[in-house]
Amino acid sequence: MTFKTGLMAATALATLGAPAWAQEDTLDIVFINDGHVAPYHVAWLKGFEDAIEAYDEAFEDTEITGRWLSAEGSLEKMIQQTEVTINEGPDVMFVNAINVDAFEPLVAKAQEAGITWIAVHSPMESADYSFTLGDVVNGTNQGMAICALSGGEPYKVGVMLGQAGNPSGEARREGILKGIATCDNVEVVAEQPADWDTVKAQSIAENWLTQFEDLDAISGVTDAYMYPSIAIATNSGKDLDFFGYDGDIPILQQMKDGPVKADILLSGTREGWNFVQMAYRIHKGETPDKVYDFYTPLVMTEENHKIALENGFPEDVEVYYVDQALDVAANGYLEFGPDSVK
Amino acid sequence: MTMSTAAAPARPRRAMDSLTQRYLVLVGLIVIASVGFGIANENFYSLANIGILLRSIAVLFLVSMGMTFIMLTGGIDLSVGSNVAFAGGVGVIALTATDSAALGFVAAILAGMAIGAINGVFIGRLRLSAFMVTLATFALARGLALVIYDADSINVSNAAFLWLGGQSWGSLPVVIPFVALVFVALSVLLYRAPFGRDVYAAGSNFNTAFVLGRMPQRTLVWVYVLSGALAGLSAIITVGRVSSGQPWTGLYLEFDAITAVILGGTSLFGGRGRLLGTILGVLLYGIIINGLVLTGTNPYLQSLIKGLILLGVVLLDTLVQRRKAQ
Amino acid sequence: MPDLSRVMRERNIIFVTLALCLVFYLISPRFLSLDNMSAISRQIVPIGLIALGQFFVVVSGNIDLSMGMGSVLFAIVLGVFFGLTGGVALGIVAVIVCSLALGFFNGVLVAKLGLPAFIVTLSMLFSAQGLSGLIIPRGQQIFLMGDFFRFIGAETFLGLYWSFLFLLALFALAWVVYNHTSWGAAVIAVGNSEENARLAGVNVDRVKIGVFMVSGLCSGFAGIMLSSRMGFVQPGLDGNGLLLDGIAAIIIGGTLILGGRGTIGGAFWGLLFIGIINNALNLLNVEDVWHQVFKGAVILAALGANWLLWQSRQVEAH
Repeated sequence: MTFKTGLMAATALATLGAPAWAQEDTLDIVFINDGHVAPYHVAWLKGFEDAIEAYDEAFEDTEITGRWLSAEGSLEKMIQQTEVTINEGPDVMFVNAINVDAFEPLVAKAQEAGITWIAVHSPMESADYSFTLGDVVNGTNQGMAICALSGGEPYKVGVMLGQAGNPSGEARREGILKGIATCDNVEVVAEQPADWDTVKAQSIAENWLTQFEDLDAISGVTDAYMYPSIAIATNSGKDLDFFGYDGDIPILQQMKDGPVKADILLSGTREGWNFVQMAYRIHKGETPDKVYDFYTPLVMTEENHKIALENGFPEDVEVYYVDQALDVAANGYLEFGPDSVK
Repeated sequence: MTMSTAAAPARPRRAMDSLTQRYLVLVGLIVIASVGFGIANENFYSLANIGILLRSIAVLFLVSMGMTFIMLTGGIDLSVGSNVAFAGGVGVIALTATDSAALGFVAAILAGMAIGAINGVFIGRLRLSAFMVTLATFALARGLALVIYDADSINVSNAAFLWLGGQSWGSLPVVIPFVALVFVALSVLLYRAPFGRDVYAAGSNFNTAFVLGRMPQRTLVWVYVLSGALAGLSAIITVGRVSSGQPWTGLYLEFDAITAVILGGTSLFGGRGRLLGTILGVLLYGIIINGLVLTGTNPYLQSLIKGLILLGVVLLDTLVQRRKAQ
Repeated sequence: MPDLSRVMRERNIIFVTLALCLVFYLISPRFLSLDNMSAISRQIVPIGLIALGQFFVVVSGNIDLSMGMGSVLFAIVLGVFFGLTGGVALGIVAVIVCSLALGFFNGVLVAKLGLPAFIVTLSMLFSAQGLSGLIIPRGQQIFLMGDFFRFIGAETFLGLYWSFLFLLALFALAWVVYNHTSWGAAVIAVGNSEENARLAGVNVDRVKIGVFMVSGLCSGFAGIMLSSRMGFVQPGLDGNGLLLDGIAAIIIGGTLILGGRGTIGGAFWGLLFIGIINNALNLLNVEDVWHQVFKGAVILAALGANWLLWQSRQVEAH
């Protein structure tokens, strides 16, 4: 790890303030993502950049820099970005691979160059670490929440899926269906992929609302589907329940006296902070679990949680109430800030 | 008068001049972009980075050369990106079924040509709008790729199949000399063979070419088949590059190719342009994309820069030509 | 006999669309239910606005690729103004001004500098995409709640959505302008031959700038409709999908991509055709991997059918 002047960001920081050149210890983090447009990606970027800044400020002996690249959904572009980045030689790379098999040769190359590779979401055996979400477990929690809050009567739900073939989407679907299967009054009347696309989700929601007049709820594998679904249901005066996945702040805000009944608290901002915390811990010589599971509670209101427990919702599932969830989602440093590693 | 232009439809001198001028502009921009990024980032000039850059635009080179032929006839092919995914799917399935790399190659190229033939027949024989037909095959080929792969990727370990796209001699990826070979072959086809003259003739004036018995409708079919074959080759390279077959590969590749060909000075209305321009266009485009990645530019800013560069180059070219004309 | 052929082309797409309806009805009777019809009528509004604006541009012999991403940009302009002021009026004014400005800019570059419309608007496509992400404060989605958005997005009159009525009114207006004004005739003349149009005394530059301002304004309207129906805005909406559907609609409806020929009625039927396919794929629960195959094949088949009918008519006419 020789003295690097690689980054524009580093140069910018250096010209902005402290005489950074005097510092010996540097930590350079690059995060390569598959996209940059979904609300979740935007939150991710915000958490990541805020955390970089906070850590750089909190630890004066280490110069911490970071970059965030988006492959805009293209595997070729992602491979190119990864190759270029390896050539740059950062300390830690987080890669949310569009397809893990395609990245095997690059993992080896990165490790040869002394870069720590952290596979994001889809675990890789060869990577130094994998940062995973436990999608099946989370999905099951959402499915069981649907059961527990359905009120025992026949209850019709439509499930919006991810892009066909996407592992994360498939795992979430598997979990949701598994959770729903724990009771027999809930019926899945429709399952359709919306390709992580809000506009598609909108058309699907509109079709469902006309097709199934007695639809009770919409469940989705991402909160991105919730925005148009909620807006359409509200505008057509229909009283539907929504079960989200992601912990987007605007969706969490729709929970108190709102139509959203449960959400999975991934939260892009939280996760972005956790990336930087993890990179810093590794940099300081700690070794996290090789497969690191992101801590993901379920979010409900306190009343709904009580009702759910009465209806047989398992007590060992971690549940955050709305205020707490909003707090940690908005303020990533609470859980993963510099204080958490001091 | 029109007769004589069509009978010897080789590029008229004035067009050559303006094209040469465009190439000088492009070379200038490439130099400026390289120097700029070189200053911003010392890694830009490393041998490894140049290898990465060239390898990453190898597919764009091939597809854009096919697009150049099509645009010389005044057409457009929106289906190439989807076709790369489809042809790759057929190739990989053939490979896994027969365990023969040769059969896999042949299957991929034939599959690419098949989509090209659909385009060609609808456009050349039925005289339907190229934009519309290839928009339909854009959806069709992507859909077929998804069906073939069942929306999942397929791993490939056959070393022979992966060689072209994956192997490097030191910092030089094997695919670069291969692209150069294709360039030479296509140049011969375009400038030395009767087919090339038919391409320019079909683009300059379809009806005149028709009257003169040059059979432009047949030329069009073959031009789209050629573009399909190049998509098939690109599919093989892509599979080698990522050592797997991917249903979503080549997404928006057509937009990049069209942009690069336009940057290279080929007219949208057919009849004017050269392969060399396309090579320069792809290089400029590739250098900018690579440089923006190196400097970690915000993706939205990248889009804006892409738009402004495209407009800027064309505007510059027009202004220079206007001044000259005055 | 250009008039006869025009009618024939228009009638073909009507046949094809009705045949498609029948097929979908036989597969699922729900397809022709009142509810579903009204869902289709609402879904086609943004595509319809794009198609309408594109129609004039294409007839004039140009193309506007920036309409899709433009409408996403304008949706965000509306959202940003709404987020800042909490009011709608200013946002609407801003969208109209910006969209006309974009159209004017496109038109001037095409008309005065003689740049190909394809290139100018392709670069505007990229630029609009970039701007849409740069003007919205990072990390935000802006919810658009309130009476105006509910009115546009969901209120009905005699069972028809106001947004659809607005689209119908615009189509009617376009029909009058296209068929019964000198400007409409000038657009066709420019599309047929700029040289002849100029000789006939048409101000070609002004016509070109005009059609691009129309298409710009239409994408501004599409942005307003899009955001109102969604109830929120974010960058990265799929503008290109809208664009391609809009172009497909008018070309299926018999508009000649090279310019000079097309009918408003044909464009409307083409729009219904695209709207019906989009709706049916969702309604009939077609497995996702087949969506694209189906859409591509149906468009090809429609093109082929149109060609066959068209050819046979020509043969008869001989």
